[in-house]
Amino acid sequence: MSAPLLTLRGIEKRYASVTALGGIDLELSAGESIAILGPNGAGKSTLLRIIAGLAHPTSGTLEFAGGKHDRRRIGYLGHSTLLYPELSARENLIFTGRLYGLANPAARADQLLAEEGLTEVAGRRAGGFSRGMAQRLSIARARVHAPSLLLLDEPYTGLDEPAARRLTSRLQSLSAEGHALALVTHEISRAALLAERALILNAGSVAGRVAGQPLDEAELARAYARALECEA
Amino acid sequence: MNVALAILWKDLISEWRARDRVVAMLIFSILMAVVFHFALPGRRPEELQALTPGLLWTAYIFAALLGLNRSLALELDNDALAGLALAPGNRGWIFLGKATANWILISLVQAVTALIFAIFYRVDLAPALPGLALVVGLGTVGICAAGTLLATMAVRTGFREVLLPVLLLPALFPVLAGAVEGSLAAVQGVSIPFESLQLLIVVDGVYLVVAFLGFDYVLDE
Repeated sequence: MSAPLLTLRGIEKRYASVTALGGIDLELSAGESIAILGPNGAGKSTLLRIIAGLAHPTSGTLEFAGGKHDRRRIGYLGHSTLLYPELSARENLIFTGRLYGLANPAARADQLLAEEGLTEVAGRRAGGFSRGMAQRLSIARARVHAPSLLLLDEPYTGLDEPAARRLTSRLQSLSAEGHALALVTHEISRAALLAERALILNAGSVAGRVAGQPLDEAELARAYARALECEA
Repeated sequence: MNVALAILWKDLISEWRARDRVVAMLIFSILMAVVFHFALPGRRPEELQALTPGLLWTAYIFAALLGLNRSLALELDNDALAGLALAPGNRGWIFLGKATANWILISLVQAVTALIFAIFYRVDLAPALPGLALVVGLGTVGICAAGTLLATMAVRTGFREVLLPVLLLPALFPVLAGAVEGSLAAVQGVSIPFESLQLLIVVDGVYLVVAFLGFDYVLDE
């Protein structure tokens, strides 16, 4: 049996005397989607940034497919776009491709722009994009190096409802294409649409786990409420 | 190496389109020349010639502080710094790309600043140009190596405008010592002391190695 795509064991993160995360265990298989839920300050983004390799855990281990951490296998999409406003959409993707050492970043950029429906605006500066367009470009940016795991940190922030629906549909198709997804959100309905499992965090600890195929929104809402009540 | 070149390209093309860093540094340098002009009235030409290297380097250092702060502040827009940190491989190349872009932009401003100072203080810098360019180039490597590393550390704090000068200025004392002495010799038309060049080369080497190796830790949250 092959090793899970991602394995976290006893992940802790402390800032001086503050414990942001306390002993998180998690496994994620290839192509699987998980939602990480919790109130503000629960440690969701910290956990995601540790998985991304942006922060080191104070203790605990993190493995990719049984091996060590590999940034090449991770795509990251946050509520910030990670884009450079002075560069065009195409230039942003080519630049990212060069960071990842792609042999032909221009061809990959054109392919992703077509997939995200941005070919028409490829030459426009990213700084002039609407929030929805910037988010689509951001998805393309996260996928430049064809990662097997996409980390999504509150990707719905600032999107209007039509743009949010488009994003959900795009993420569902990426999941169907075989990408593993880890989605940080506090929106239960969107988590239920996208994930097969949910990890509920509160005050840096695991307060609940829910599984289902698909996730049952009502059950997830109850589990979430129970997890928060425990803390209260 | 490709990562460094990609970042160099990105920084230069962004600056070409925005022109905010170079313009801010240039305006600041011109204002420094005006301030010094009023602060040192009625000086004889030979006195001004002796003072020019020190004044020039004062303007260079403070203009560079502006540029370095802005260089990293741009990476905070849209959390782009995280985008760089996500890239695989040795993060030292990210440092090298940023530092090289800073060196090019700051050198450009320094060349124009030297011209402005030459006009303001009626000092003929033309015969000193090759020696001055060598000393300024070496001194700016030290500024950019230490400055890029420390600006990256300072940029995530809530008081980066204060923190960068507090961290960087002490690190630049040896750079200033070598650079001002070497520049003075170049302006006076005598050979540049070997000790000045040696000091600049050693300091540059130490700062480049420390920053290249330390950038991985600086980018971690």
